Amino acid sequence: MSLELVCPAGTPAALRAAVEAGAHSVYCGFRDETNARNFPGLNFSPDELNDAVAFAHARGAKVLVAINTFAKAGAADPWKRAVAVAEDSGADAVILADIAVLDHAASKHPGLRLHLSVQAAAATPEAIGFYAKTFGVKRVVLPRVLSVEEIAVLNKAIDVETEVFVFGGLCPMTEGRCSLSSYATGRSPNLSGVCSPPEHVAYEDDAQGKTARLAGFAIDRFAPDEAAGYPTLCKGRFVVQGKASYLFEDPVSLNAAGLVERLATAGVTALKIEGRQRGKGYVAEVVRTFRAVVDAVEAGRDPVEAERILARLVEGGRQTSGAYRKQWR
Amino acid sequence: MVEPVTGELPGLLRRLANPPPLVRELGAMPLGAVLTRAVRDLARRRPEIFSRLNEHRTRSFVIAPTDLGLSFRMVPNGVRATVAVSARGQFEGDVHVRGPILALLGLLDGTLDGDALFFDRTIAVSGRTDALLALRNAIEDAELKPSDLLGLSGGLGRVADFRVPKVLSKLRRMAGMPLDEVTP
Repeated sequence: MSLELVCPAGTPAALRAAVEAGAHSVYCGFRDETNARNFPGLNFSPDELNDAVAFAHARGAKVLVAINTFAKAGAADPWKRAVAVAEDSGADAVILADIAVLDHAASKHPGLRLHLSVQAAAATPEAIGFYAKTFGVKRVVLPRVLSVEEIAVLNKAIDVETEVFVFGGLCPMTEGRCSLSSYATGRSPNLSGVCSPPEHVAYEDDAQGKTARLAGFAIDRFAPDEAAGYPTLCKGRFVVQGKASYLFEDPVSLNAAGLVERLATAGVTALKIEGRQRGKGYVAEVVRTFRAVVDAVEAGRDPVEAERILARLVEGGRQTSGAYRKQWR
Repeated sequence: MVEPVTGELPGLLRRLANPPPLVRELGAMPLGAVLTRAVRDLARRRPEIFSRLNEHRTRSFVIAPTDLGLSFRMVPNGVRATVAVSARGQFEGDVHVRGPILALLGLLDGTLDGDALFFDRTIAVSGRTDALLALRNAIEDAELKPSDLLGLSGGLGRVADFRVPKVLSKLRRMAGMPLDEVTP
């Protein structure tokens, strides 16, 4: 196996669906602020993680535990506990972002394999080299701001594995540095594990269509026949100088299925699917499709029509290859 | 723009599901009692489903199928859960979900992806988004079968688990719902 397909699971049922659909690895998190998908009803208890690891291992799949938020100063116990529980479960790696948590894991759990979360936003040989040398990080999840050419150059300059997102929601910011959600709601993915926390989200329907609000701020209005998106500020539509437009990022989903062969050639080890907050129907369909893509690339077969197959599952009803295929330079 | 999915019940079935108002009103109360008992039985058999709801188990969820002459108000409070049924317009509640009954049933058994149905406007939601998300995720993880929902066991339960998904899948195809493709 040369390309590892890393798939999301917000619940044990989604993890089973991912494994049965062909995931090589599944990533998940605990039911607290230690992971960046801390949404109501989502995530794993320690017992559920134990069962999930046993289930995945029995079928030849790995489990990676995301503990990828930034620990609160003076109150890091939940993050330390999460690392210990992950190791006890037999998980294959933990995905970390915070230097303090990395330091704790490296010094107190030396046998645990460490991956660097996208939340750490390490995208240069210097930054990645620091994490590899200081904490023994074995794999880096790259921010979604690099072109395939840049990834190829980067891979030649580092000696750790790289993992890149190939499908799902796009985060246009320097990840781990975004304060938009904090500005509006006081909570953020970096510290609380939630971007646009749902208790601050409201949808209102009237004759003009659907209005999405975050903490009272109207961030988009969709016409009755227009595809809706997630209520994230970065994908909001705002009126500036009399014209309404997406100031930061369109509500589109990443789909890099057509670039898998080039990513493999660029030296990428693992392909990541976003969507721990999505249901098991989404997980199963996306994983099954991308497993077919990976198998086809490795066997030299005709490409899989992933854009067509997955069109109905994507945010905003539109797909993009994102920064991988930069057009503006 | 996406092509909207109608997904509403096909003609004859829709007429059958919408009997005269008097029949609907007479049926609403006993149906509520049956559904209340089914949810409470489920809570006894599968308490972990309800533990995922945390504080949201005392919220009221109003489910309004657009092609059915009934609406439902559920408080999923474990063994103290209640389901009320009304043949007269909407209930008040913390969360409102509207959409074709086939889409709503698809969410219940995990056949359909809730976010995708929301993106393409097949379903509409309002009210407490956090409570809705908790319920969605709890249902997602529950992997409910028709026998769970109907409170059936033994041979009858196995027949329901085998037949009901096939019937629903066929109805969704008749209703033009291509999202059936996401079945795990």
